[in-house]
Amino acid sequence: MSQPLLRVTNVSKIFGATRALSGANLDIAAGEIHSLLGRNGAGKSTLVNIIAGVYPQTEGDVVFDGHDLRKLDIFARQKLGIRLVPQHENSFPDLTVAENIFAGDLPKKNGLVDWSTINEVAAQELAAYGVDADPRGMVRDLSSIDARKLNIIRSMHSGARLIILDEPTTALTTREREELFAFVRDLKAMGTAFIFISHYLGEVLDLSDSISVLRDGLMYPVEDRASATQEHLGELVAGGQVELTRRRAERPDPSDVLVQIRGLRSAGVEDVDLGIRRGEVLGIIGFPGSGAREFCRALFGADRVTSGTVHLEGRLVRLSSPRQALREGIAYISFDRHREGIMPLMDVNENIGISSHAGALRRAWGFLDLKRQRQRSQQYRDELKIKCNTIFDPMDSLSGGNQQKVLVSRLLSTQPSLLILDEPTVGIDILSREEIISKVLELTRTGMSALYLTNDYEELLRVADRLVFFDEGRVASVVDNDDLTIEQLTQIRDSNKEAASA
Amino acid sequence: MTAVSSGRKILDFSMNNAVWILLILAIGIMGLFRPSFFSVGILSNILVQATVLGLLAIAISMVILLGDINLSTVGTAGFSALTGVIAMKAGLPVPLAILVIVIMGSLIGLVNGLIVTKLRANALITTLAMNMVLQGALLAITGGSSLSNLPDSFKFVSQGRIAGFPALPLVLIVVFFLFHIIWTRTEFGRDLFAVGGNPRAAYIAGIKVDRVKIGAYVISGLLSGLAGWLLAGYMGAVTSSFGTTYEMQVIAAAVIGGVSLTGGRGSILGVLAGTLLLTVIQVGLAILGIQQTLITLAGGLMIFAAVLIDALRNLYGARRSS
Repeated sequence: MSQPLLRVTNVSKIFGATRALSGANLDIAAGEIHSLLGRNGAGKSTLVNIIAGVYPQTEGDVVFDGHDLRKLDIFARQKLGIRLVPQHENSFPDLTVAENIFAGDLPKKNGLVDWSTINEVAAQELAAYGVDADPRGMVRDLSSIDARKLNIIRSMHSGARLIILDEPTTALTTREREELFAFVRDLKAMGTAFIFISHYLGEVLDLSDSISVLRDGLMYPVEDRASATQEHLGELVAGGQVELTRRRAERPDPSDVLVQIRGLRSAGVEDVDLGIRRGEVLGIIGFPGSGAREFCRALFGADRVTSGTVHLEGRLVRLSSPRQALREGIAYISFDRHREGIMPLMDVNENIGISSHAGALRRAWGFLDLKRQRQRSQQYRDELKIKCNTIFDPMDSLSGGNQQKVLVSRLLSTQPSLLILDEPTVGIDILSREEIISKVLELTRTGMSALYLTNDYEELLRVADRLVFFDEGRVASVVDNDDLTIEQLTQIRDSNKEAASA
Repeated sequence: MTAVSSGRKILDFSMNNAVWILLILAIGIMGLFRPSFFSVGILSNILVQATVLGLLAIAISMVILLGDINLSTVGTAGFSALTGVIAMKAGLPVPLAILVIVIMGSLIGLVNGLIVTKLRANALITTLAMNMVLQGALLAITGGSSLSNLPDSFKFVSQGRIAGFPALPLVLIVVFFLFHIIWTRTEFGRDLFAVGGNPRAAYIAGIKVDRVKIGAYVISGLLSGLAGWLLAGYMGAVTSSFGTTYEMQVIAAAVIGGVSLTGGRGSILGVLAGTLLLTVIQVGLAILGIQQTLITLAGGLMIFAAVLIDALRNLYGARRSS
């Protein structure tokens, strides 16, 4: 057998008293795509950080193309061709596409930046990798998919032979995801190896040549790649059976309408009429710009409503601001957990209570009922199994999944009639995802309704009673979810799109 | 193993309480050189001196907590005091004149707040301009001279004594206690920290972000006005360069006290420590007999030292949490 491109032998990492990784072994050949699965904190990041040279291993060997990496720092490893493309885009938004490709190593002529060479070479490389972008355009103006491809092209430009992709599909639509995968497959055909980190079992099965699961710092190679299934991988990740939550069999009463929306207009939303039944989970589907997300945000007062009415329980609701919407019984979890969700400097307790300051926690003279706040936080911590030492742990010490549980607690504690979930499970581990979903489904049984917007159609079909397809700011169709398949769903979505453009 | 962890505990403790330790060190060192430093007279003088600075430090902290800055606290103090004193000289009763001062301060804060929130202007430039306008107006109206001969009832709190002790530090204690409660236990206080920490998320969480911001600016102005009254009473006059010695110390007291310039982080106890530390340095240098021409330099260097220690503390904290 020929020498693999990367060989990791018996690598362990100890942080203080924690054993983050124990005896990991991994071989990757040129042109191989190897996926790493595992919950947050299972050791995936530790392993790739050791390979990339962010920090050294405590014991074990990492050999890349015959070079012992032990004494090489992150820059030396980059020269050898190991590149880590992080989850969050690390490009420079206010520089041009070409500058981003050459970042850190701009060609010069007579001591000045040689723009013509830069733009020329960049244009060639973009064309070679099939990306249709202007090298002189700002990265800020790129679509999110092109920005991600650009990150990979940057690595290729500097001679990458092993590219580590850390959750590259987060917040991409299915189509963009497919586009990214095709791009990765092209590079693989040219001999580039990939380590692919993802939470989505489906896409891991779709893309990878080989798979390893990490759990509690131990590595479990998936021996029989050909016959691996999502259920099997899910069990390996969780270390046991994960109960995939499904909606109940009985349907909400079609005549019992909780929310009636008429002629709603706002930026990107054109004249939406929609009834939301009591106790239903209404799945929302649409490409970026279709009005799906815009509709959700308008209904919460986060975007300005220009016309139209919304009645909840027959009562006309004012949608002037998120504060007003919360008061009316409408709650919203944003797709952007960091910008529009967590209060990073506050503790778990305050993060749960923050939306109830003007409600259940208010006392006379502007004081807050701090005792009640602690009791409620404690209660939600237990109910949603939020993992923290105490409710006074700082928010930024929690994993993504647990932060999301805190946000769900925050909104559920306002006792909403309608809960709007905008990509509630992006970038969080499987167990947290199922716990959040089952909590939401439990509450719909007591009469709460939910809008559920996600690009993970497998997840959506498990939880939704009905599906609303958005296109060009309008409702294109509403379909009962009678055991629809993902293929049927994408077919409806794409036929709506074609009908609109025809 | 236990030696390591107890060593770490001591380091943790010193880092978290660096300002208080510096304060004790500063007092100790001053006392070493001048044993008279420990006299009741001098220590109570420090508290008296600290009162005006303390009120201004809370005033600026209200805005720094938002992640903004208010450079007009000293100008607000001077201009508010001037209007009150002019009104008093025109025959307004003393209690009403004091009310005028506080209301004027709040109004200036309101203007700042409205410009920053409704017009989305930059707080630094807005309040810098406001400060120049106010100090310029003070200079123009007084014509470079001082308004003195203030009645005793106006100066009662600033110069009066209760059971032999100066009354002024009582204001310091009451105000710090009050704001500790506001910052930690009220809806407004917690909303203030939330808005400073992540304004977008605060809005989505249902907080009236603009109203909280305007409220913070109004209270900042109100406290500046209060400080103006007390300083006018203490000096027995409103001068054309009213309060300018406090200008830079105000920011330093807040920041050394641990109020983060990026917003959302700070404690009232920290602001108190920062205020006392700066006052001890100021008074101490005077008592040590440092030449008048060197006092600014020496004071600046010592503030620098405090800021460096604060920066080290932050670096240490960041390293521990990562």
